[in-house]
Amino acid sequence: MDFFKSGLKTVLGAPEAGQQPSAGETVERLVNRVENSTLLEDRRDACRALKAMSRKYRVEVGAQGMGTLRQVLELDRADNETINYALDTLNNIMSPAQFEEEEENPNIPMNIGEQFTEMFIKDHNNIQLVLDLLDEYDFRVRLSAVQLLTSLLTNRSKDIQEIILVKPMGVSKMMDLLGDTREVIRNETLLLLIKLTKGNANIQKIVAFENAFDRLFEIVSSEGYSDGGIIVEDCLLLMLNLLKNNSSNIHFFKEGNYIQKMLPMFQTPDDAEDLGWSPQKVSNVHCMLQIVRTLVSPSNAVQIISSCQKIMKYAGLLDSLCNILMASGVPADILTETINTVGEVVRGEVNNQDFLGNVMAPSNPPRPAIVVLLMSMVNEKQPFSLRCAVLYCFQCYLYRNEMSQASLVQTLLPSSSDVSSLTSGQLLCGGLFSSDVLSNWFSAVALMHALTENAAQKEQLLRVLLATNIGSSPVSLLHQCTLLLQQSTKVQAKVALLMLLSQWMSYCPSAVSAFLKVPGGVGYLVNQTCSNEHDDNEYLLQGLSAFLLAICIHFNDDSVENYSKDSLKQLLLKRIGMETFSGKLSEVTKHESYNKAAKHPQLRVKAPGEILIDYEFCKLFKSLEGVLVESLTVKRENGVESLPESRASPSSGALEQYKSLIRQQDARLQELTQQLDGLLRQNTQLQSALNDSLASNSHLKDENTLLKAQVSAATPLNHQAPAPPSQDDAKAKEYEAKVQHLANEVAKLTNELSLAQEAKKTATEELEKLKKDQEDLLVLLVDQDAKLNEYKMRLISLGQTVDEPPSEEDLT
Amino acid sequence: MAYAYLFKYIIIGDTGVGKSCLLLQFTDKRFQPVHDLTIGVEFGARMITIDGKQIKLQIWDTAGQEAFRSITRSYYRGAAGALLVYDITRRDTFNHLTTWLEDARQHSNSNMVIMLIGNKSDLESRREVKKEEGEAFAREHGLVFMETSAKTAANVEEAFINTAKEIYEKIQEGVFDINNEANGIKIGPQHSAAGGAAAGGAGAGGAAGGGCC
Ligand SMILES: Nc1nc2c(ncn2[C@@H]2O[C@H](COP(=O)(O)OP(=O)(O)OP(=O)(O)O)[C@@H](O)[C@H]2O)c(=O)[nH]1
Ligand SMILES: [Mg+2]
Repeated sequence: MDFFKSGLKTVLGAPEAGQQPSAGETVERLVNRVENSTLLEDRRDACRALKAMSRKYRVEVGAQGMGTLRQVLELDRADNETINYALDTLNNIMSPAQFEEEEENPNIPMNIGEQFTEMFIKDHNNIQLVLDLLDEYDFRVRLSAVQLLTSLLTNRSKDIQEIILVKPMGVSKMMDLLGDTREVIRNETLLLLIKLTKGNANIQKIVAFENAFDRLFEIVSSEGYSDGGIIVEDCLLLMLNLLKNNSSNIHFFKEGNYIQKMLPMFQTPDDAEDLGWSPQKVSNVHCMLQIVRTLVSPSNAVQIISSCQKIMKYAGLLDSLCNILMASGVPADILTETINTVGEVVRGEVNNQDFLGNVMAPSNPPRPAIVVLLMSMVNEKQPFSLRCAVLYCFQCYLYRNEMSQASLVQTLLPSSSDVSSLTSGQLLCGGLFSSDVLSNWFSAVALMHALTENAAQKEQLLRVLLATNIGSSPVSLLHQCTLLLQQSTKVQAKVALLMLLSQWMSYCPSAVSAFLKVPGGVGYLVNQTCSNEHDDNEYLLQGLSAFLLAICIHFNDDSVENYSKDSLKQLLLKRIGMETFSGKLSEVTKHESYNKAAKHPQLRVKAPGEILIDYEFCKLFKSLEGVLVESLTVKRENGVESLPESRASPSSGALEQYKSLIRQQDARLQELTQQLDGLLRQNTQLQSALNDSLASNSHLKDENTLLKAQVSAATPLNHQAPAPPSQDDAKAKEYEAKVQHLANEVAKLTNELSLAQEAKKTATEELEKLKKDQEDLLVLLVDQDAKLNEYKMRLISLGQTVDEPPSEEDLT
Repeated sequence: MAYAYLFKYIIIGDTGVGKSCLLLQFTDKRFQPVHDLTIGVEFGARMITIDGKQIKLQIWDTAGQEAFRSITRSYYRGAAGALLVYDITRRDTFNHLTTWLEDARQHSNSNMVIMLIGNKSDLESRREVKKEEGEAFAREHGLVFMETSAKTAANVEEAFINTAKEIYEKIQEGVFDINNEANGIKIGPQHSAAGGAAAGGAGAGGAAGGGCC
């Protein structure tokens, strides 16, 4: 504070006794001095004073000084110290954070930094000025410029990104700073680049093009990989930004052999368990896992996923991940994320799935890693997120892999009753009938995934018998599941069993008939469907029961007396009615849990209570819902008699419907792609129109801010600030009207443009056609010519004279 | 990972001239009949052999639409080679070459090899630009020239490989500073033993991807 006061004194001269100038006046004089003084020292001192004031009085300094400060950046480039003060002052004015000094001043708007940013970037040249200063080698200047850009990006990331994108070398300049030997600058540049690349694919690609991955891996390795400090985490966060939802960069990452370069990140020394995991190491490893998952995320294109997965296995990355899985002393959240990651690295890739299936845990006796994982899944004492991760990993292990599905079911069949060792199948059966409802749910869903699109295993699983009570004869697994469904009082268990049975019985008439033979099964479904309880979860149960009932009808091969296709359908029509039935069915897709689950293969729930629907079940439901409803309605209209071919093979009808559905979707897809092209074009036009409007709009806002600031600067103590002159309002209204008018104009023009484009397109097409016709005609003509000549020759050879000029050949 | 050099390329030219198709034909041996407008920039890669040496090509296919012009400019500096493409059935795309060339010369390093390409040579009947005109333009501006068809694949390999040969020769002559990555050239890792299998797998996948399906 002393410095502050004495600084002011030297710049301003001592104030006249008894009359303290207001902050606004002081700022005004300082700004004048910066602007008008011909002495560099004077300007420098004034800038220093402005910097000192800018934390407490940023409204005043910003409102009066911004233009002058930017002028300094342009004209005083020769003096690093002055430039540095100007940059720091601007950074203070536009800082996204609140300063301690201003905490007590209620007059400062919360988003003041953002408002000033908006004003500053109005002139895109201002950004260029700051970018140019990055070329300055001076430590302070370069650092301040980087920090200023970071603040700007924090406040208005989208705008600044777009501006920087069109500045030639804008991104390249920042990338160059990553190679600065002064660590502080390098580290601040990392933070800048993280902000710069967030959510902008175009910038992400340029940064990757500028060798970002090489630089980042160099830093990460020089800092000791996962054992490095926060700088490693920053590097990884930047990599993550570059890869997230950016297939072009993922492709580049893969082709540039960077996956191989990740390997040392996951290699933990053997004695790691003694060292423990620092919080920083946990963060670092977490980021690394995120990077791996981004590469093989199920939302990427299949080709990309599969080639990344292959490389991960060849390069030994999968192996390293599995080692973490089996190591001791790994923190729980890292373990959980590693399980998720291993899942996605093997998902749908047979060799990787096999690899995982063969990993042995160092337990005593040695057990397959999969078995050890499943033990955690059905163990109530394990953390919920860990159990979810195991389920996901197991689902990935089974996904599109008939072998792994078969080997799971195999462990349940009588032939393989090797009592001594614990198997996956036994664990799941135990979980299915345990008293812990989560274990029920996890196990049922896991089993369900062994049956997905696998007709053979649906049949095999029918052979599974369970010994229940001593003395009574064993019952089938399906029988037991059906009984459990009727007896259970827990919603989650019932939902899980209904999903399992639906997956099992769809496309599998023998499973349907096995179900129909279980006493009470059909009755239970009918009652549930008719039930009148009002509660979201009850609605869901009713819908799922309706679904299973319809499966019993559609995939029915008439092998069970009393429950033939027709009699069941009559039962449904009489007891439930078609309207009610389809109403209940549609409840399923209305449920929140369904919609959440349908989005992503991995369960995304926070609390155990939220678990209900599984992703694969959503797929089954979506594919069958229409088919089931239609098959019921069609037969009703045809009277009792069902269509012969649908009786012969229940699924052929479904197949036809898929096909037509696919055809429809295909057509729709093409239509939409075309529309998209047009819309993209339109979008650019509208965007620029919008930008114009926004510009004039924000111009208004600026004026407003400026006025407000000036008002508060002029009357700092006057609390009854006069209401803004109504003239302003009128002006604002006028501008708004103008904006509106412009917008209308733009819309009109866009419309006309698209009409014109359309017309042009038809014209071009016609032209093409005519050209083509003409070509055809020409070809025809040539043909005719040739024939004519031939005839002529023949005539000549026959001795006839042809009254035409002789051909060239004749002349020679 | 066993490559001797890595070259960065860019493909530039008006929208619709067939830049993306040329890249797809080169990397995947496929042709894409519908115009799939490139937004921003797309990446592709393939391994080739020159003089018995493995060379990895990393190719950035840019968007020809005017709106993306400033984004494209960010890619000139770091590229060792550029394919400048026009469409022989559209004279305007040929007329714009001067603008493209100016842009490229202004923003790239002076050693960048530029290959001029007249694409869609399969559409002889709709030709608007004579081959001689392309040759003349190339001679005048010191470019290599070739007519190609992304549809029939005619000359597509050659276009990419000849560009690489030109760069390779410049390296041999010592024109390129290969230690400056900003030139778009990297030397392969000397110790090529570790992870060799993986790189082989990836490289082959990239080259033959289209063949199998
Ligand atoms: N007959 C023929 N058509 C081609 C050839 N190359 C491209 N086309 C067609 O020309 C159109 C445009 O091709 P693209 O490769 O998408 O054009 P582009 O240069 O990438 O366009 P932008 O991404 O907008 O810059 C497509 O419909 C292609 O099928 C060719 O050699 N012969
Ligand atoms: Mg394209």
